[in-house]
Amino acid sequence: MSGALLSVEHLTKEFHTNASFGRRAEVVRALDDVSFEVRRGETFGLVGESGSGKSTLARCVLRLIEPTAGRITFDGIDLRALDAKRMRRLRRRLQFVFQDASGALDPRMNVGELLAEPLEIHGVGDRNERRRRGRETLELVGLTNEMMDRRPHEFSGGQRQRVGIARALVLRPEVVVLDEPISALDVSVQAQVLNLLRDLQRELGLTYVFIGHDLAVAEYFCDRVAVLYLGHQVESASREQLFSRPLHPYTVGLFEAAPVPDPSRRSRQRRTIVRDDADMPSPLTGCPLQPRCPVGRHRKLCATTRPPLEEHEPRHVAACHFPGALIDEHAAA
Amino acid sequence: MRSSLRFFAMRLAGALSAVLGASIISFVVLRAVPSDPARLILGPHADADQVRALSRSLGLAQSLPEQYWHYISAFVQGDWGYSFTAGASVRSIILSRAGATVELALISFAWAFSAAVVLALLVTYRSRPLLDRIARGVAFAGLGLPQFWLGLLLLLVFSHTLGVFPGPEGRISPSINPPASVSGLYTIDTLLALQPATFFDALWHLALPSFCLSFFSFGFLFRLLRSSLLEMGREPFLLVVRGKGMSRWAAFSRHALPNSFLPTLTASALVFADLLGGSVLVETVFDWPGLGQFVVQSIQRLDYSVVQAFILLSAVAYVVVNLVIDGLYGILDPRIRLGRAQ
Repeated sequence: MSGALLSVEHLTKEFHTNASFGRRAEVVRALDDVSFEVRRGETFGLVGESGSGKSTLARCVLRLIEPTAGRITFDGIDLRALDAKRMRRLRRRLQFVFQDASGALDPRMNVGELLAEPLEIHGVGDRNERRRRGRETLELVGLTNEMMDRRPHEFSGGQRQRVGIARALVLRPEVVVLDEPISALDVSVQAQVLNLLRDLQRELGLTYVFIGHDLAVAEYFCDRVAVLYLGHQVESASREQLFSRPLHPYTVGLFEAAPVPDPSRRSRQRRTIVRDDADMPSPLTGCPLQPRCPVGRHRKLCATTRPPLEEHEPRHVAACHFPGALIDEHAAA
Repeated sequence: MRSSLRFFAMRLAGALSAVLGASIISFVVLRAVPSDPARLILGPHADADQVRALSRSLGLAQSLPEQYWHYISAFVQGDWGYSFTAGASVRSIILSRAGATVELALISFAWAFSAAVVLALLVTYRSRPLLDRIARGVAFAGLGLPQFWLGLLLLLVFSHTLGVFPGPEGRISPSINPPASVSGLYTIDTLLALQPATFFDALWHLALPSFCLSFFSFGFLFRLLRSSLLEMGREPFLLVVRGKGMSRWAAFSRHALPNSFLPTLTASALVFADLLGGSVLVETVFDWPGLGQFVVQSIQRLDYSVVQAFILLSAVAYVVVNLVIDGLYGILDPRIRLGRAQ
């Protein structure tokens, strides 16, 4: 527990759909018992394919949506125990950057107003002070002063994301949750924004929770990485551990699904794990990956018993009955 | 700067041509009605020579363009014609009755508009299934119920049975003298004349007809705004400002409302202009001495000059209201202003 600035324990989020014309009310479990800790100053990555619950997780952690169960502790404060007013006050220390940079900005406001607004909400400074801080932060993210009077539609995607980052940083938060901050950007701009985020982290001592689906980006950017699959945390380790020897078959599948830029290195036939929601057994008794897992598909243990999240190597946890089996098999081949 | 001047000039030219078009259409259509005003004035017992003579003196023997020119040039100079059924100049009648209609329209619109905005915000900024259901039901009823029936029902319940509001006796209690006319609006005139008792009496008389009239407008505006707000509520920037620590209410009223308000604003303009035209049915039910009643009587009696003046004035009202709304657009959405200036 020590050293964790943000810790998430047994977080579960269920969505309920309403019954209507011939459709039964359903319960969708978007997050199932997810736990992790983020230490001060580090970048913690959450990766997974779309629908794995990454963004839901981010919103639950920030309490923008209410989790069904679990505990979120920020700097010793139990976030879920806070009333709405205290939570709003705490948001000053806990900011986020959104994937959709253009949608995240009110189109009616100019940059000066957009940057002053968070300060206004928290009653920081007077008008001039807020404008000064806004200008300062704008410079910090590499935009110039004269952009203060422009509106979002006059910016490029990358610039908009910089404005979004500036809006998060203008409050001088401690933790910034980055929800796919570069996914909507061009590749060339992605690198710029990533480097900017990294510089800012160093300069301002920020702690990041980085959400993404691109493993290469996660490897470049994160200190520790957790892998989510259909709302389950399947593996979590330091970057070095995870990328040198992934223990969970799903993580291995993710690596192999990632395109390799150099054609000469595409030696092995790609064994992608095809997602098929139809074969999800319900109710789930065994491992959620079992129906599509190259290791566990025909194993009875995997079909009947849910593998617990266990530490298989020092500080390297995975939820698998046969950790490392797949990667060893591939290494032998 | 020059381009914004040009923009304004263009708008004004468009507005003028709309008014002109309305005047031409109303003029031509009324002339096409197969009846003879001279005969209507003189009655069935006059002989053909008399009718012909009156026709000529009324100018009906001239060509249509000539008649139109006479009409429109006189209209601009303030001569709106003579109502032979009322035996007075059209201008004096319309001005004396406009106050009643405008006052009712203003109050009804204020009701409808504020209720629509407040309720639409209340049911969208957070989930309130019960209030939402009630408000939607009221809106549905407002759009569906015939206004004259609603008016009768209101009179029956609140005036006849409960006695809390006055019956259909017009703008003011018969025992009270109407205030000296300054604006034509009793509520304003009474305040200017420092007659609080008369002011409250006028308000009290406005209550039922304005409520009855606002019902439909409320339904229309509420539905429109509710659906735009719900749609806007899904925009990511609302989540973002809440993530910055803004309350739901502030996020909705400061960000969602201004961003989703343009369609409602446009619709409000139409609703208000429509109310300004007066409502025949509601005015009749409440014996409200407004324009609607008078105009319909004039139509039935083929009193050209009244109908024409009314159509032209309605067109002017629509155009003016829309020009004002255009101006408000720029205030509400700075992007429009900016696009114009560039």
